[in-house]
Amino acid sequence: MKALFPRAGFAAGALLLFAAPFLTANPFYQRVAALTLLAAISASAWNVIGGYAGQVSFGHSVYFGIGAYAALLAYAKLGWPPIAGLPFGIVASFALSIVVGLPSFRLRGHYFSMATIAIAALAGILVTNWDFVGGAIGVMGPARARSFADLLFRSSLPYYAIFLCVLAILLLFTRLLQKSRMGFYLRAIGSDERVAQSLGVPVRRYKLYALLISGAFTSIAGTLYAVMVGFVDPNSGFGILISVNMVVMAALGGAGTLFGPLIGAAILVPLGEATNALWGARGIAYVAYGVIIMLLARFSPGGLAELGRFIVKGWRRRAA
Amino acid sequence: MLLEARGIVKTFGNVRAVDGADLAVEEGELVGLIGPNGAGKSTFFDCLAGNLAPEAGSIRFAGLESTRLSPDRHARLGLARTFQVPVVFAGMTVLENAMVGAFLRHESRARAAQKAAEALEFTGLAGQAEMPAAALGTAGRKRLGIARALATEPRLLLLDEALAGLTSSEIETAIGLLARIHARGITLLVVEHIMEVIHRLTRRVLVFHQGRVIAEGSPAEVTANPEVIRAYLGRRAKRGEA
Repeated sequence: MKALFPRAGFAAGALLLFAAPFLTANPFYQRVAALTLLAAISASAWNVIGGYAGQVSFGHSVYFGIGAYAALLAYAKLGWPPIAGLPFGIVASFALSIVVGLPSFRLRGHYFSMATIAIAALAGILVTNWDFVGGAIGVMGPARARSFADLLFRSSLPYYAIFLCVLAILLLFTRLLQKSRMGFYLRAIGSDERVAQSLGVPVRRYKLYALLISGAFTSIAGTLYAVMVGFVDPNSGFGILISVNMVVMAALGGAGTLFGPLIGAAILVPLGEATNALWGARGIAYVAYGVIIMLLARFSPGGLAELGRFIVKGWRRRAA
Repeated sequence: MLLEARGIVKTFGNVRAVDGADLAVEEGELVGLIGPNGAGKSTFFDCLAGNLAPEAGSIRFAGLESTRLSPDRHARLGLARTFQVPVVFAGMTVLENAMVGAFLRHESRARAAQKAAEALEFTGLAGQAEMPAAALGTAGRKRLGIARALATEPRLLLLDEALAGLTSSEIETAIGLLARIHARGITLLVVEHIMEVIHRLTRRVLVFHQGRVIAEGSPAEVTANPEVIRAYLGRRAKRGEA
């Protein structure tokens, strides 16, 4: 029974995820559903380095921006369908991880986080002042589909399907990672680097592996965003709020857990879209974010996953 | 010679924490390293395990020049250590903690789990294997630190005050454990400042004071050594003068 329950819960959750947008004909809800999955992809990607390995990056928007710009530059400069920019984004994310990420691993804790903020801010300024990539104006995607490969759809449902596939791959990959030596090593690093290293964990190498994986998947999220929205500028590609979103979603659901980031995204994206729709002001959602961060830090640093475990434990104790 | 250190110097600002320390440990030995608080034992230890790079001197482990190798390379060569303050990987179970050590020599998860379970069995933690490691008390954490280190299948185990902070009955259990580890053929270097423990465990003791080894011999010999007595008892007098 105990073994059956999570499996049944998992199946129900997967089915609900798959069916959700088809239950409504309202394009607004469908769009929110698609955006939720997209946010879940980037938060889950962040989770690999920020959650499991405990290296809290506030600069992951760099990878998102790279992926988004790679897609739209592939169209604007080469006339290719935006999705063809995907491998370029991944390669660029690898290069960034090695050139910039590796040296910043010398910093620990908050200092690492601050370095990542600086890197992301720098990248934003660089792109804003670089005319070749559209400067402050940004880059546009194709206005109408030239072929199916442009992946331009009026409905959000095809995007939802694409995002769901990518998210499934990422979560499957994360699950395998979690069970492997690398997963154990990353969690050990996240918990105490010095002890991990004394047990033979090559800390910097494993942090780099985690960053390579995390950065590549975040850049894929950026590419998918650009394909769907068809426009990116320095703010929507490299803005700090993009990084903050990933961190808050993962932290809310439970950083370092498999489904935590997805749960966080499923709460925060609809919340953000609802406040935007109701009050129009873009700021309200971020006020809510601030409150959530404070509540989390005070009552449940492990996020909803921890809270859930706690409740289940109490419930079992009462039942016994 | 399994481990050999010559002329190790490590300074922090103006403090020469380790000041020309020498040490030699043969394969199969159980050596005690004692000294008053602040003698530089832990710093010396960190140098031996690769956690700190000494400014001068050289260390050879298992026939290799190991002075500037990282701690993980040391672990791979067969040198494991515990820490004075027992830190556990808080988000993991007791078994998973030990598995991190076991993964060093076994990539397969099943094999690592098996080796980790053996280490827990050996250290008397088998009953707590599925418990969250954070739920362990001090004695349990210290034992888990040893189990984790054993799971790396070391040739030499460095124990940094493995018995400090334990009750007398816990110390009895721990002494038995260390003797069994030694009986398995693992060389031990044990840092302690409790003399009785050293008396019962080892035949060879090094006394550390002001960053270097000032005496060496059997526990009875070193406790009779006037220089050792001065190092242990003379501190208060010295502080009074200053």
